Amino acid sequence: MTVNVTTSKHREDAPEGRVEDRRLLTGKGRFVDDLKLEGQAYMGLVRSPYAHAKINGIDFSKASSSPDFIASLTGEDLLKEGVQPLSQNPWPFQKRAKRYHLAVGKARFAGEPVAAILVKNKNSIEDLIELVEVDYESLPVVTTIEESKQGNAIIYEEWGNNASLTSEVKKGDAEKAIASAAFVIRAKEGIARQAAAPIEPHAVLVAYDGKQDSYDVWATVQSVHGTRDKLASELKKPKEKFHVRVMDMGGGFGSKGAQSYPEAPLACIFARRTGLPVKWTATRSEEFLEAAAGRDEYCDITLACDKNGRIVAIKASVECDSGVTGSQAHMPTMTIETMSGPYRILNQDITVAAYVTNKMPLGPVRGAGGPEGCYFIERAVDALAKKIGLDPIEFRRRNVLRRDGPGEGEADFGLLLDTLVKSSHYEELSQWRSDLYSKFRVEGPSHSSLIAGLGVSLTGSDESEDDEDEEDWSGGSSGAESKPWQTGGGSGASAGEKWAGQPAAEAKAPWQAGGPEKSASWQNSGESAEKRTWAGASEETLGFMSETARVTLDKDGSVKVYTGSSPHGQGEETTFAQLASEELGVPLGSVTVVWGDTTLIPKGIGTYGSRSAATGGSAVVDASRKLKAQLLARASEVLGVEPNSLEMGGGGFASASRPDAVLATLADVLQKQRADEVSSSSVFTLSGLSYSSGVHLCALTLDVELGKVKIVKYFVAEDCGRMINKTIVEGQLHGGVLHAVGGALFERLAYDEEGNLLSSTFMDYNIPTALDSPDVQVFHETTPSTVTLDGAKGVGESGTNGAYAAVINALNDALSQLGTGAELNMVPATPDAVFRILNAKRVKTPAASHLLSS
Amino acid sequence: MIPKSFDYYAPASLDEAMRLLGEHEEAKVLAGGQSLLPMMKLRLAAPTALVDITKLPGLSYVRDEGGHLAIGALITHDAVEHDRTIKERFTAIHDAVVRIGDQQVRNVGTIGGSACHADPAADLPTALLVLDAQFVIRGREGPRVVPARDFFVDVFATAVGHDEILTEIRLAYPPPRSASAYVKHSLREADFAIAMVGAAVTVGDGDVCIDARIGLGSAGPTPLRATSAEQYLGGKVLDDETIEKAAEMAVEGADPPSDVHGSREYRQEMIKTLTRRSLKLALSRVK
Amino acid sequence: MQRAKSEATKVAMKVNGKQVDGTVEPRTLLVNFIRDDLGLTGTHVGCDTGHCGACTVMVDGKTSKSCMVLAVQAQGAEILTVEGLAQGDELHPIQEAFWKNHGLQCGFCTPGLLMSGLYLLQRNPDPTDEEIRRGIEGNLCRCTGYVNVVKSVRAAAKSMREGREGGA
Repeated sequence: MTVNVTTSKHREDAPEGRVEDRRLLTGKGRFVDDLKLEGQAYMGLVRSPYAHAKINGIDFSKASSSPDFIASLTGEDLLKEGVQPLSQNPWPFQKRAKRYHLAVGKARFAGEPVAAILVKNKNSIEDLIELVEVDYESLPVVTTIEESKQGNAIIYEEWGNNASLTSEVKKGDAEKAIASAAFVIRAKEGIARQAAAPIEPHAVLVAYDGKQDSYDVWATVQSVHGTRDKLASELKKPKEKFHVRVMDMGGGFGSKGAQSYPEAPLACIFARRTGLPVKWTATRSEEFLEAAAGRDEYCDITLACDKNGRIVAIKASVECDSGVTGSQAHMPTMTIETMSGPYRILNQDITVAAYVTNKMPLGPVRGAGGPEGCYFIERAVDALAKKIGLDPIEFRRRNVLRRDGPGEGEADFGLLLDTLVKSSHYEELSQWRSDLYSKFRVEGPSHSSLIAGLGVSLTGSDESEDDEDEEDWSGGSSGAESKPWQTGGGSGASAGEKWAGQPAAEAKAPWQAGGPEKSASWQNSGESAEKRTWAGASEETLGFMSETARVTLDKDGSVKVYTGSSPHGQGEETTFAQLASEELGVPLGSVTVVWGDTTLIPKGIGTYGSRSAATGGSAVVDASRKLKAQLLARASEVLGVEPNSLEMGGGGFASASRPDAVLATLADVLQKQRADEVSSSSVFTLSGLSYSSGVHLCALTLDVELGKVKIVKYFVAEDCGRMINKTIVEGQLHGGVLHAVGGALFERLAYDEEGNLLSSTFMDYNIPTALDSPDVQVFHETTPSTVTLDGAKGVGESGTNGAYAAVINALNDALSQLGTGAELNMVPATPDAVFRILNAKRVKTPAASHLLSS
Repeated sequence: MIPKSFDYYAPASLDEAMRLLGEHEEAKVLAGGQSLLPMMKLRLAAPTALVDITKLPGLSYVRDEGGHLAIGALITHDAVEHDRTIKERFTAIHDAVVRIGDQQVRNVGTIGGSACHADPAADLPTALLVLDAQFVIRGREGPRVVPARDFFVDVFATAVGHDEILTEIRLAYPPPRSASAYVKHSLREADFAIAMVGAAVTVGDGDVCIDARIGLGSAGPTPLRATSAEQYLGGKVLDDETIEKAAEMAVEGADPPSDVHGSREYRQEMIKTLTRRSLKLALSRVK
Repeated sequence: MQRAKSEATKVAMKVNGKQVDGTVEPRTLLVNFIRDDLGLTGTHVGCDTGHCGACTVMVDGKTSKSCMVLAVQAQGAEILTVEGLAQGDELHPIQEAFWKNHGLQCGFCTPGLLMSGLYLLQRNPDPTDEEIRRGIEGNLCRCTGYVNVVKSVRAAAKSMREGREGGA
């Protein structure tokens, strides 16, 4: 299909504010917990207090003697009903884990639901939960990757061991290249287990229709279609029996996406059994206990470069704590496949292994493996730049710029770096940094305890061909003299935005328990051997690269856009209206975007993974163009002219030669044709992935006595293709960056030795407040995507992808001034952790102690 | 999320309040509720009755009573933050209150509630201890005055008996050439302290220390006074060297916990650093 | 003296200028009374321990986290929720400012933020960015990174000052 991208860089008529805001600002949002059905009953979940324990019996006699008690369910009840295990759509390299909505036989993490009750009053839920008596027999607990490997306790007996995923990316001969490289560094890095923590907890409301044997389900989900399909397969009923809806949702960040949670199916069962509507809302503690968590990856990385600072090889081994593993716990694979970032590295030996432990499942959390991969390599890049004595920006220039400039549709990293350096006043920042250090040296830490650091990171991916000549193009620099950033290397072909892995690398799966799901609604597993692109979408295999849209025009002139996307803060209610209004030439106010309803929109994918602007937006443009073609044909009939002599604009049709004179309105044409409604649909599939590129700069101060970091300034120069709405793009970057700032400095899901989660409130799991947050300044370049119809590239996760590295690079830059050789590579860099690095004390951290270097 | 069931009373007089407390063995006083309610919602506390004293008249004031400032127990943190006298003459209290929670918490939380809750990780008790606050407790037999060092008894435990109510906190005006400070180190600005230290000094000519008080929080079951460091400083010139020594001595009696927010060893180092910083800050404020 | 045994008891208060009453348990949280009994679902619940601030309302003119207040404690009080900010179709200047400056994304924390922002501006009509950040410290947001929230409050401050000076 021809890709005809709208090339305008800026929107002259961007709306003043978002369409969705009015109801959200006036308290008229419709979040799931806001909904109320007459006579609704409340579900409560009894959760295991043990991380690993056999369930020998469950006694409801005390609970059921309360007048508030209505019904109960156990895992055994589910088995009797023939309910299927929690859906698994594992990436090809991940083992299937069999777990049920309520634990059967044994509980595998503290917080896993073991029984469900239905009660009359909201206030009584916890009273009755406390009255349910469960006979547990505790089992040995696995709370670290080391323990998981040792295998003293096996979490899924049928596996025989605790390894859930292995994968690799191999190219060239990394071993050889490292052995002969001029400079080599090795580092052990890691990011602790972290939570998505949207402010709205999970919730579900189900009403059952006895006559139709059908379910009305409202749920906090990023994909109503995925949820519908999971309900159908878990409860063994036809998809048509489930009408799944979501209106407003208070953030998801991945944790309300792919994961199969127990609550919706359990609520359906209760609703059918009792005839009552069933409501369930997670408490924040439950949210922490059960919602799929992310990160928890550790990397032993070796990075090597030649005498000119050109990276020649990467060797890395990544381990991941997958918890009880989840429906989609493929993030470790994403990590290794995105780790080389925008650099072209000819020799790669990257492996990953994930292990199950007695913790909540792992799932996608904003970036879903991307932030981890970017962090691992960008830390190593900085370490290598330091070793060779090059400025970190200069080092990156030498590795990311291509001789012939960026390819079509690819971001220009040279330009991005220039923009970053200029707009951040990098020279002044460097001066500020050395001034602070001078003061510190002269006055001593007890009088001037602040020093500063600057850190940079790059986000993007490489799309180069394998057989490109490996000439020395680095501008003729001989040797590793430190070059100031002004003399960047020649600009060659830069990193592209297509995520294609490395063309010659075939990800190997030494074993697979069961093949890829044939009719997975989540992904299309038809990969070819030479290039990891996705096969074309068919109805049954709509996946990550696809999205649906239907655009309708009513006889009153109003336009509706039905999208398979599911906005929850990203602004598609506005941006998709903008796209349709632009294509059809109608006022923005006449377009309404509809989403989140499996009856109104029978097929769709949802919003996650930075794909809505790219896939959903393209589908909207495609459907709009098809509709436009239909309308032009109709108008030409009505007006008696050739269709190609007409244009659409101003809410009607005009002659191409006189575009200001509207000959007929849309409503006119429909009425004359006696058509109540005209519509067009699209199922659009990208031929390649489309992510944005960016460069980040973090400026921070470090109080050397306290180990406390404060980010003073943060800059992003980014290219996300054509921006449908610049303000919305910037909002995504602000939020994405701050999500990673929290992860870099504050956030950790901490456990004790028995596998009890210690961070189950916002008091102990610390996400940034307004006082902890820097002002984030964003600068834009625009290279429209060549694979999307709207020219947009995904940007929802870009901020998060780059910020861990930028912050920790800045911290290490600050530390480097002290000349102790101390480096901090384990995240979060809490004051305690920083202090210990400063004082080079040996320490056991709760996680990854086996990877911690001195 | 929802507390266990309880009876609720909002008495109109102190006597009524004390009587109700006496009648219900497991009753608790409810003031701002910003510490008590979260514990009840997590079901870590389950009193069978709450005696709401916020409707009692005449317990919210800041009054100059000649030799001391009298602060009604029900005064909110926000009101304390904006009180000029407290800011100028009892700056450690101001410093502490400014770091309590957030605006919503400060609007509703009370100085009396914070003192009686006696959370070793809370900000105010340390500041009150370092300023030698006096606590007026109303019991069945009338009021009695308890000095700070006897008021904080243990974790979540004070000298206030079960059927008694704290009504007032008194701060004796310090002599001329005195100043105080409170510094806190926490992960995020809003968090409970990893370490906190309050200092109050009175100096003579040439910065000779006439009186020094050092209070440590998050360093044991109750806020502590670093008495050996205080004694050491008496009569000495307050300079980098003596302050450093005092900071080292201050940590000796401390017993900080290890938890997710910081290890014991780290906290000990922080106590040293913050002792130095608070002494210097207090000294810099002396007029 | 008001007293309520643990079972149902009556409460009455003013919410957004209107007199309301209901029957609650003493342990019924004010936020649940507002949401479930009064049907004003604009105020949200985001956590268990009073840290997220999504439930912030004004009680007798002061911001307060309504999940940390018992409905019975609000007996006789005047409550302002987000639904009480707009005058008919006309948005309050702070709502307008959030709209124009993209101060919200998913909107879940927004009602609480509007309350905290408004309270700050009522007491400090011309705050610095640092003062704004401190004023909204008790409202957690996971979407915006607070950048445009601060911008929105600053814009609201300006338009409210101008509105006052214009004699509105």
